[in-house]
Amino acid sequence: MNPAPPVTAESIDHLCALADLPLSPGRRRALAPILAELVAAANELNRTMAHARYRGIVPVVRFPERAGGAA
Amino acid sequence: MTATGLLDLTIREAGLEIERAKLSPVELTEAMLQRIARVDKTLNAYITVCSEQARAVAQAAEKMIRAGYHLGPLHGIPVALKDNIYTRGIRTTAGSKILADFVPEDDATVTTRLKRAGAVIVGKTNLHEFAWGGTTDNPHYGTCRNPWNPERFPAGSSGGSGVAVAARTCLGALGTDTGGSIRLPSSVNGIVGIRPTIGRVSNHNVVPLAWTMDTVSPMTRTVEDCVLMFEVIAGYDPLDDHSAQTPLSDYRGELTRGARGLRVGLIRDYSLAHVQPAVGDTIRAALRTLESLGVEVEEIAMPSIHGNISAQLTIESCEPSTYHQEWLRTRAADYGEDVRTLLELGELYLATHYLQAQRYRNVLRKEFLHGFERVDVFVTPTLPFTATPCGATTVTIENGREENMLSAIMQFTGVPSLAGLPALSLPVGFDAEGLPVGMQVIGRPFAEATLFRLGHAYQQATDWHTRAPRL
Repeated sequence: MNPAPPVTAESIDHLCALADLPLSPGRRRALAPILAELVAAANELNRTMAHARYRGIVPVVRFPERAGGAA
Repeated sequence: MTATGLLDLTIREAGLEIERAKLSPVELTEAMLQRIARVDKTLNAYITVCSEQARAVAQAAEKMIRAGYHLGPLHGIPVALKDNIYTRGIRTTAGSKILADFVPEDDATVTTRLKRAGAVIVGKTNLHEFAWGGTTDNPHYGTCRNPWNPERFPAGSSGGSGVAVAARTCLGALGTDTGGSIRLPSSVNGIVGIRPTIGRVSNHNVVPLAWTMDTVSPMTRTVEDCVLMFEVIAGYDPLDDHSAQTPLSDYRGELTRGARGLRVGLIRDYSLAHVQPAVGDTIRAALRTLESLGVEVEEIAMPSIHGNISAQLTIESCEPSTYHQEWLRTRAADYGEDVRTLLELGELYLATHYLQAQRYRNVLRKEFLHGFERVDVFVTPTLPFTATPCGATTVTIENGREENMLSAIMQFTGVPSLAGLPALSLPVGFDAEGLPVGMQVIGRPFAEATLFRLGHAYQQATDWHTRAPRL
């Protein structure tokens, strides 16, 4: 686990520039603590999914159409 | 029949009376419109009431019956549609200021199918703005309120549909469900709602939230009524790229089989963990009822389940932000503050976060499919808590600890959404304050019939679904 906070006000500035998302300084500041929490959780999931046992797992955009059938 | 008596009719009961020409669709529709006029100032379940059109359609439905034409169990039945479902000639706002004046030129496929079945659309219901949230505290069309206690929230995002059905202002409604938006309001308003397998019901001409998780489906007072609406709207639609060609089941036929022999799974350290005590007690009582009907219950481990909230938040952040990208740059001030913030956040994730979340869905689904080798359905509460005060942004579930509302809301309903599984919420009791508790039943892909079968058997043995809020 990386102990450093994953998101700071500066990193929000960079991300907004990369996304071409013009936000006021006030809005950017307000997003930082929320995004820090969300990204920390997402990074945790990243670490889990990067494990060797999941190498064969593909992302889902549409599930295969296979009926489970009624009981 | 008195106007009060009409309000408590189920779709099945009213449909039979209409078919026998013992009940007039005009009389029934008028009773619903009067009910809306009486209670909806308090509840705010409707954004648009279609009085004129509803009366005209009801009159046409009555003429057809007199002429010997009956279109099926929804003929002359008053229903409501969530206001993100296109209705030709009637504005479809998606609960937003941005689409406040949007009048579609075409219907959604589900709207077309309801119209062909003879249903009478009485109105378009309130929702969380663009369906992105779980409270239906709408800054543009007002706060929707729970009929069991108007100081409490109706959940969301299909809060208006849930309230409209529970308050007896229509006999059934359509909602949309991405991460729980049908099941959550079904739970806190004491009604039935199903999230279908993705592809089972067409999403064509429904304002999207998250493409890979969106679904449309009915919300009703009984499981039997849910089946009657589901049968009409389900099935392949070439206009929807995600539509499935898997054959439909005999949903009504399955209802007669009873619950005996069905196997119910509880997910270890999850299904009954981290819930308000009243919710846990109520679900345990419902499980005892199911056991008395011949259902077997067993516990099954599902090691990956605890990544679900992060995966859901990631996908539900990134996909809506993609859809809203242009409006967020040109009309940002027209969004409510909570939705604007979520849409801004969704632009700032990394692609790897999104793709790992989509890979996680596959892991979760495989664990469920493995579990379905031993059981027919899994059970959880629909929500870990009962209806919170309107406007609350946090909730206390246990040990006096306040938690973020959005994450807490997603605790149970996000799982079948991620795994691409159908899930039914049905009312199974009340807490000490008289607020409804819902139970979520999760099934195999395309096995909606099994969920209906179990839910109907439960409702045949209990009377929670017959109780009405005092308004």
